Amino acid sequence: MIPDFLSAIVDTLLPGDDDPPQLPTGTAAGVAARLAAHLVARRDSARLEAVLAAIASAARGEDAFVWAGAAERVATLRGVEAEMRGPFRALVALVLEDYYEAETVLLAMGWRTEPPQPQGYALSPPVDEALLEPVRRRGRMWR
Amino acid sequence: MVGAGLGGSAFCARLSERAPHLRIVCLERGDWVDRAAMPAYRRDWQRAALGAWATSPNVRLAAEEASQSSDYPIDDSASPIKPLMWNGVGGSTINWAAHVPRLHPSDFKTRTLDGVGDDWPFSYFDLEPYYDLNDTAMGVAGLAGDPAYPPKRSPRMPPLPLGRMGQTAARGFNELGWHWWPSEAAINTVDRDGRRACNNGGPCLIGCPISAKASADVVYWPAALKSGVTLRTRCVAQQVITRGGRAVAVAYRDQSGVTHEQPASFVVLACNGIGTARLLLASNVGDGREGALGRYLMFHPVAYARGMFREELDGPRGPVGTSIYSHEFYEQRAGRPFTRGFQLQITRENALLLQAMRLEPAWGAAAHHQLREEFRHSLPVLVMAEDLPDARNRVVLTGAIADDGMPGVRVEYTLSENSRALLDFALDRAEEMLRAAGAHRVTRVPLAPMTGWHLLGTARMGDDPTTSVTDSRGRCHAVPNVLVADGSVFPTGGAVNPGITIAAVAMKIADDLAREVIE
Repeated sequence: MIPDFLSAIVDTLLPGDDDPPQLPTGTAAGVAARLAAHLVARRDSARLEAVLAAIASAARGEDAFVWAGAAERVATLRGVEAEMRGPFRALVALVLEDYYEAETVLLAMGWRTEPPQPQGYALSPPVDEALLEPVRRRGRMWR
Repeated sequence: MVGAGLGGSAFCARLSERAPHLRIVCLERGDWVDRAAMPAYRRDWQRAALGAWATSPNVRLAAEEASQSSDYPIDDSASPIKPLMWNGVGGSTINWAAHVPRLHPSDFKTRTLDGVGDDWPFSYFDLEPYYDLNDTAMGVAGLAGDPAYPPKRSPRMPPLPLGRMGQTAARGFNELGWHWWPSEAAINTVDRDGRRACNNGGPCLIGCPISAKASADVVYWPAALKSGVTLRTRCVAQQVITRGGRAVAVAYRDQSGVTHEQPASFVVLACNGIGTARLLLASNVGDGREGALGRYLMFHPVAYARGMFREELDGPRGPVGTSIYSHEFYEQRAGRPFTRGFQLQITRENALLLQAMRLEPAWGAAAHHQLREEFRHSLPVLVMAEDLPDARNRVVLTGAIADDGMPGVRVEYTLSENSRALLDFALDRAEEMLRAAGAHRVTRVPLAPMTGWHLLGTARMGDDPTTSVTDSRGRCHAVPNVLVADGSVFPTGGAVNPGITIAAVAMKIADDLAREVIE
């Protein structure tokens, strides 16, 4: 498999955008490198390999997919998705996991990089009981 | 006792207190959860919620990482709603949202009041002392005075913060003149009973490592063990052994694969609406007669409406299942295109990855654009519908033997026309509220598949052995010294989360048994 093939797939799935703050491409966020590692380590790597092979076949070769224009790549992936939805969606899920855990992506989306614990989150405001006055005035609703 | 979840633990704690001379042994297929290994401290916590800490046992079994939950596969291909649970000490309270509304008094008499479903053999007010006991054991955050309920006697901790999402929805409900109230939650808002106050970390469904959220392993089991109950973990019950119409023992397999028999004067099952039916069916309780066992399975069908707002909201901050709820449409009212009612529940939002996963299209520039628009700007309304009992919805054995040595299990469930009409009406009302609150766009999930937490009705209580499995004291008609103490015994399910009703019913059944053995 040529190295650019994985990047081309990942960047078609995760093209990023230029709106500030810039959302990086999948490859820039490290997802293509992670995908290469997954192909070696994961239990379901055969299923992932089958999807990659289907993409190469649909594009008439890995090189052809790499050199294709953006619209053509999208069309190829849509075709493979329609043909083998379950395995293709497993690949998508895997790259989304790596992408949306990447620090650059979390920050670009206005979120923090630390996990929920131990610091938790500040949350405001407390209950404003004045808001409940119309509800209280209704009286008994239960039967 | 078989099953150390909420029903089993509440039962054991109560019975051991009321009848301390009894020897109580609890067999649990799973183990204690290791809180230090809960993913909320890890940077990969989002993906954990899709793998080893997913809510579905089938998803966990397929995950790369081994799960702490001791699961068995469930064939859910014939159900649009997928069963969710946790298998271990504490049961599904390990990964519940701890949103703890009570049933309404009318829920206990739907046949009498509304001509549908079946009446319970006791009333809300018979169960009320047990609700209070559970409130005291778990600790409930909330606000007194909700007109949708009779006054509640047990004290409350201060309510959880509404956040921007709750505050925004409250304005929408007020604009329409509809009921709403801050959520009742079994989550500490102050330090209590050695458990910390919640710090709004959020993803309660992957476990609460600081135990701010009540779960049966930290609430009921310490008391039960102190009272002398024996808890055997990693022991999978295989069969209730009966002789002459009475149970005499439970056969179980330990973690080494060795089979034992635990003799018993009474056998109590609390393995949830699927596990309990599976064990009773595997044990041939009822002698193979066609009856209600495994039938009348009820979920709470769930749909979502999601409003998009220009202003920034909270996103995934805060305890996920809580903020506020509306029971404006909970009670039966003539002229609606369905019977019974629903709850509108304002929850917190998904984490970034989980929000990305549910988008369609799931990838490409459009997905990026949509996520940019929605993340921290969306407000979800969860519609929870009452599901009327229907004998065709059921739990059955597959005929194959699963890895745990038990017969495989399958769920057959069809969403009823009434539930569909109810969900559609409810989604319209949810959208009406969201628009009133200022949403510029609203999306809908007509039926959310991964919401089958509430597994009810498969060993329902009643007087008629042809339409019920257990009597008002939780005893099986066919084998009277086999009891059930979980959501399986519910004749109807109302339209609220059933957790604390399961605990209350289990403690009532324990009291009934204690009275008998003491007398």
